[in-house]
Amino acid sequence: MNFKKTLLGLGISTMMLGATMAQAEIKVALAGPVTGPVAQYGDMQFIGAKMAIEQINKNGGVNGEKLVGVVYDDACDPKQATAVANKIVNDGIQMVVGHLCSSSTEPASDIYEDEGILMITAASTSPSITEKGYQLVFRTIGLDSLQGPFAANHIINSIKPQRVAVIHDKQQYGEGLATSVKGELDKAGVNIVMFEGVTSGDKDFSALIGKLKKENVDFVYYGGYHPELGLILRQSKEKGFDAQFMGPEGVGNPDITAIAGEASEGLLVTLPNSFDQDPKNAALVDAFKAKNEDPSGAFVFPAYSAVQIMADSIEAVGEVDTYKMAEHMRANNFATPTGELAFDAKGDLKEFSFVVYNWHKDGSKTAVK
Amino acid sequence: MQEQLLYFVQQLLNGLTIGSTYALIAIGYTMVYGIIGMINFAHGEVYMIGTYVAFIVIAGLTYLGLESLPLVFLAALLVSMMVAATYGFTIERVAYRPLRGGPRLLALISAIGMSIFLQNFVRLAQGSRDIAMPSLVTGGWTFGSPDTFEASLSYMQVIIFIVTLVTMGALTLFITKSKWGRACRSCSQDLGMTNLLGINTNNIIALTFVVGAALAAVAGLLLGMYYGVVNPYIGFIAGLKAFTAAVLGGIGSIPGAMLGGILLGTTEAMTSAYFSSEYKDVVAFGLLILVLLFRPSGLLGKPEVEKI
Repeated sequence: MNFKKTLLGLGISTMMLGATMAQAEIKVALAGPVTGPVAQYGDMQFIGAKMAIEQINKNGGVNGEKLVGVVYDDACDPKQATAVANKIVNDGIQMVVGHLCSSSTEPASDIYEDEGILMITAASTSPSITEKGYQLVFRTIGLDSLQGPFAANHIINSIKPQRVAVIHDKQQYGEGLATSVKGELDKAGVNIVMFEGVTSGDKDFSALIGKLKKENVDFVYYGGYHPELGLILRQSKEKGFDAQFMGPEGVGNPDITAIAGEASEGLLVTLPNSFDQDPKNAALVDAFKAKNEDPSGAFVFPAYSAVQIMADSIEAVGEVDTYKMAEHMRANNFATPTGELAFDAKGDLKEFSFVVYNWHKDGSKTAVK
Repeated sequence: MQEQLLYFVQQLLNGLTIGSTYALIAIGYTMVYGIIGMINFAHGEVYMIGTYVAFIVIAGLTYLGLESLPLVFLAALLVSMMVAATYGFTIERVAYRPLRGGPRLLALISAIGMSIFLQNFVRLAQGSRDIAMPSLVTGGWTFGSPDTFEASLSYMQVIIFIVTLVTMGALTLFITKSKWGRACRSCSQDLGMTNLLGINTNNIIALTFVVGAALAAVAGLLLGMYYGVVNPYIGFIAGLKAFTAAVLGGIGSIPGAMLGGILLGTTEAMTSAYFSSEYKDVVAFGLLILVLLFRPSGLLGKPEVEKI
């Protein structure tokens, strides 16, 4: 009996503690894959956002209130993403940094827009996300419709291949990019001999590679993520197929080296600028390194910027009013670690630049001049 | 002309490689179905666990400085077969035996639950990311000239064929010649009667799970070495494909599972080769529907007599 009383007392005091804390904190949902095959991209986004929250709190928070990040796992699965979005609504959170995969962000953004929740994705690049005329949907990363032509431009002007294959994983992100690249190459009269989809999650690409070999393909553009491309590279090397491969930021992380090994040497990857190489961000990079985190991931700094823009907007508006914040975001420029950012009417960045990198077998990369 | 022929041979080899491992996994489904008439949906997860164990053993032995490849291979094979067999035995004990005699649907739900449990258990224990391993066996033979088309057959593919053939041969001998094999066949014909004749059918059913799981571990080791990648989700797709292979060949029939696996693998490879890899699953499952339309019990399956 005594024990029960103690427990009850403990419970009540915890509740009171929770109540007093709630007055002085602003919650931000961080939504993305914690689990699943592309969880490493989720990590990039989470460490960036958490670092921003930590530093903002260290500097006195937002209008004297502390930011708190709450992580939600959508496993990069559209069904789970809508469940997560509904949970965020039920938890009464007003702002979301996420989601990561375009196919998750798109259905989730419908829910956020309806419920008056402000969403900034730091990683989803599919153009259709911002094409619905939503007021509360923003992104701090470039679009496939920019990245595709950028990659195509590099292929046409620097590589000048004879026989090109464009492969994708039949998902929104990969197929969107592949289609955009194919369109640009067609316009420039590049000879595309193959345009095919593979099944995401597949392990055997020997039949596809046999076909690429037979068609004498000398250049392959792959739209998709690293687990499949890693295996394609590895199996290509084993089968003696040595074309030049190129992929988007979805393949650019050290895991592709772990999967493909030496076969990842010389892979071309289009990535956002390496913000961690910018001398202006040296202090921030040191802060990441002090926590033993890797700041070189493509979505680390865009996620940092997303949180910072939210915090700046709350301070400017004076309260967490998502519609006023969105108005403020469209009207102003923000000085962030990813540069001076400004949003257009759709919620996309007015400017975002990509760089072509040459991937190396030790997992490092060098910019292609 | 020769180029076309080489291309065909190359794709046939690709298809046979993947098909023979489908067959190894399919046997686990077909043996269990043949004896107790239920689909063990957790079988794909046993394959996945076999791959993990093989990776751990290989990594551990290499770390300890053991260089000899045949020794590492044998050790990985034995340990992963043993661990997988233990899983097979335990799964049967925990999830299926208590439900025996109840409605079939119960065992099916229990199997799906077991599959979800194992997948998430491995995910928590090992992390959800792809774990990769460098190729142990590299190189191979090539045919044809590099100018036109060069077909290649890697040593690893040859190892897969040989190990699969040996394993299947051993299994066939076991089923047809040994005392336990005879008991297995007898169980699949009439479980109740076998019991009456003094054979402990519970032991035979457990044996079926153990053998099926050990074969899945063989496939796990082979495919793990071939692709070099493992994650907790590989069991689902592999299990689905192997189940398809088992149904295609006639579920309950061991030669049927072998035939079904090879047929499914080559169909997939040929579809990718001459049509498009986007449609390989469409054609593979289309084939399944066609076979089931004309031969509802599969290619080598016996038509089931309704018992009254």
